[in-house]
Formats: sequence, structure tokens, C-alpha cells
Amino acid sequence: MSGPGRVAGRRRAVIAGVATSDYPVVPELSEHGVHGQAADRALADAGLTMADVDGYASAGFFPMYAAGVCEYLGLHPTYFDETNAGGASFEVLVEHAAYAVEAGAAEVVLVTYGSVQLSQMGRTLGTGAASRGGTAAPGPAIHDALWGNTLVGNYALAARRHMHEYGTTSEQLAAVAVTMREHAASNPRAQKREPITVDDVVSSRLVADPLHKLDCCVISDGGAACVVTTAERAADLKKAPVHILGAAHATTHQMNLSAMPDLTVTGAAQCGPLAFARAGITPADVDVAQLYDSFTITVVLTVEDLGFCAKGEGGAFVADGGLGLGGRLPTNTDGGGLSACHPGMRGMFLIHEAVRQLRGEAGPTQVPGAGVAVAHGTGGMLSASATLVLGRDAP
Amino acid sequence: MPAVNAETVGWWEAACEHRLVVQRCTGCGRTRHPPGPVCPACRSTQAAWDELAGTGFVYTYTVVLQAFLPALADRLPYVVAAIELDGAGGARMVSDLVDMDPADVSVGLAVEVVWEDMSPELALPRFRPVRAGGAEAGH
Repeated sequence: MSGPGRVAGRRRAVIAGVATSDYPVVPELSEHGVHGQAADRALADAGLTMADVDGYASAGFFPMYAAGVCEYLGLHPTYFDETNAGGASFEVLVEHAAYAVEAGAAEVVLVTYGSVQLSQMGRTLGTGAASRGGTAAPGPAIHDALWGNTLVGNYALAARRHMHEYGTTSEQLAAVAVTMREHAASNPRAQKREPITVDDVVSSRLVADPLHKLDCCVISDGGAACVVTTAERAADLKKAPVHILGAAHATTHQMNLSAMPDLTVTGAAQCGPLAFARAGITPADVDVAQLYDSFTITVVLTVEDLGFCAKGEGGAFVADGGLGLGGRLPTNTDGGGLSACHPGMRGMFLIHEAVRQLRGEAGPTQVPGAGVAVAHGTGGMLSASATLVLGRDAP
Repeated sequence: MPAVNAETVGWWEAACEHRLVVQRCTGCGRTRHPPGPVCPACRSTQAAWDELAGTGFVYTYTVVLQAFLPALADRLPYVVAAIELDGAGGARMVSDLVDMDPADVSVGLAVEVVWEDMSPELALPRFRPVRAGGAEAGH
């Protein structure tokens, strides 16, 4: 992968295995149990065992989170990482893992995600710490929330501003949810599979105007995992490796949208072009995308900021079928967080589906000949963004 | 309750006196909100509180129709807005809008601060539409 730490012609990072746990409802498993199931399956997918793992990464909402999962898994890694960027965490963790294996700091890094948000907390909307029992963040972090703003409300503020500046409509936003549901119909595990229409979305109840219930992701249990190693190590493993071509991440603020410079521009505008440059590609080279879809507006902002269309044209892009299987940018081919599964920080699911596409394993939603995939996470209140460019072929 | 610390205490003390202020870097003049320990532009740790007129415009808004905290349920529906404050150098503040029908909110709406005393030590600035004959800053 191009970027910091890269030594040309030497160790190159790949993803050798991926898997999900059972989802979207797993009341029989603990949070660590979900990690364990996803980990075992990803290692099996790669043809490796826990004994091969010397690096570990995860993100959660407790200090020393990675160490806690390692204790459960019986791992004693000499590389570990628990960088938390909310929903973008797992793109960041895989980027870090790539640097680690390329630098020789680790040989096999296991990256896992697990959550039982639905079973543990019932149906409370949320993708972050603010929704998890009222634990207050330090300092001014909660400033904006004092006036009753909600997590959905933050995304609604961005959506309303985008509508004001660019004429984006609720019907255009709804098209994102409709396309995700079309893809979910082919995913037997998806939480919601019955078809919906634009009318269904805009006539579902408003949660935080202009976002309706069907503009919001589902709330699920579940997890996923991947194995990062070198191309050399992966050469004699079970599956063809997927190459990590480039990656980057960025942040604009944490919990206070009042500190976000422009509510219509996310950190993707920084890290997207950087990741593409490191990968040596342009947006036109991307065959399939897995874009964080916490809310419909998240996808509209992301396709613009990553350069798949001009700023302000995201509404038309998604409404014209741009995200569909025959569209300009087939996106979230598993049904995404809007329909398939959203346990809180969905980023690892994006990587899982991107790898399946590049291996040609995506079944009815396979994009024919997919050679370059993007997984892009968005965390917090549009706070953190991370782009991962993956390729079927070695760079 | 807000988490008051070394950086935010001045803001809340002013609020208690019903003065809406914004933090201004005394090194380069840049404003910032919420208050913080260091200027993001010039790294100065020196800052002052600029008193504002308490008027501004709705930059964006949402009408909240589902409460995720039980304590807020009886307020539904309510309007949360990002307000571009007059004289604040582009700084925006997220607050809520009161004394109005949520159906009447729009981007660009001129608003003015109203104070709600929560306790002897805590006053919360909220905003309402500028009325005819009221504050003049709604240009």
C-alpha cells in the first residue's frame, strides 16, 4: 500500500480472510461471543488458526477494549490497536494493520468487531457512546446535546443544510433506502428484506425532520472480522488474497456539530482523494463501493465527498439509480446498515462485503468482474471518515 | 447538566448573568465555539469572552419528533437549530428554538436569545424568532 511506512517492492498488506458472525439478532451470544464467532470464521476462511495470530485490533466503548477481547480469545499479541473512530473505526484499524505488517511489526493481524446492541439495549437508536446509558463525555463534548439534540438530529441538521444549499429532496434521500432494500432482498441474513418504495420512506414517521424512520439504519446484533497479513504469507493460504491498495482517514470534529466547518462536507473530502492517490486510482476506477449508511444523508454526502459526483449532485446521483447493481456505483451490495445489519459500528461489514465482491463470492448481487472496491466508514456525528481501497489484483 | 471545566466556566458564568458570549483568541482574533483551551488557528492559549447581541440566523435546523431520553418526551416536537450568531465571526451554536410553531422554522430565520434560569448557578440560552420591534440585528 502506498503511504507512510511503505517500502516499495517489499512487504505488501493483503486481507486473507473475512467473515461475519450470525446476525442480525443473536441473543444467545455475549458481545465477546460475537467477536469470537466472527474471529473463528475469518481465520477459517483464511486457512489460519489463532496460533498464527500475532496482532489484534478492535474498537469498542470501554478503555483497554482490545485487551479485553484478547483475554476472551486467549490471544497474547505483540501488536494491538483499539483506535476508535466510531463507525469508521474498522477502516482505520485495517489501515493501521496494513502499516504494521508492511513494517514488519506483525505477521498476521486479526481485526474483529462484535456487538449485541439490539438484544442488550432494546430498540434505542444510536451509533455511539451518547446512546449507551448516558455516560457523559468530558469537557465541552456534550455542549450541543444540552439543548435536546439527538444523534439522528445531528444528521438531520446536515440533511437540512444540504437541502437548503443544493435543493436536495426527501425523495432523493429516500432513493438510498430503496436501493439498499433491493440489495437486501438477496441477502438471506438481512434484517429487512421486503421491498419498499420512495413513498414508503417519505411517508414513514419523521424521527428528526427531514429524516424519517426509513432514512435511519436498522438496530442489530452482530459482528465481523478480517485477517490482515502479507501477500507472501497469503500466497499459500486458502483464498486468493485481496490487496490493500491505499487508505486514509480524517476528522472534522467530535460530538459538536457547531464545530464542524461546513455541515455539507465530511472528512471524506480529505481522506477519499488521499486514499485514491495512495492507491494510484481515481473514482472512475472503482467498480463497487461499500459506503457507511447510518442514514440516507450519510451516503449522499459520501458519494460527493469521495468524488463520484460533484458537490450538490449527490441527490440526483442516488435518485437516478446510481447506487444500484446496474448503476454508476453499485453500493452496499449486502443491503447496508439501512436494511441488512447495523450493530453500532458497522465498518467491518463494509470490508467483509468489499472482499466478497473482489473474490467474486457475492452471489446475486455480484458486480461482474469487480476489480477495485472502496470501503468507506463514517463515524460519530459525521465526525470521522476513513477510506480503504481494495483490489483483486496485486498493485 | 453541562460539564463545566476550566475552558467552559467563563461561558457558563456569563450565561448565568444572561450574557451570551463567544470565545475569541486574543492572539489572532479567531472565534471558536464550543469554548476550548487553545486556538485552532494560531495555538495561543490566551482568549477573551466577546459579549454578543444575542441575535443571529438559523443556519440549519431539525424538528425532533422522537425523544431518546425519557426526560425530553414531553417537549416533543421541538426544534434544534445551528445558529450563526451575529458578531461572532462565523461561529455557530447549536441550541433550541422556543416560543414558536415548529412548522414556521426555516433556514435564514432571524432569531434572538431568551434565557431560561435552570437554577441559581445555571442559565440556558435558547432562541426565538425576532419579533417586530424587537432586536434590530436581524438584517
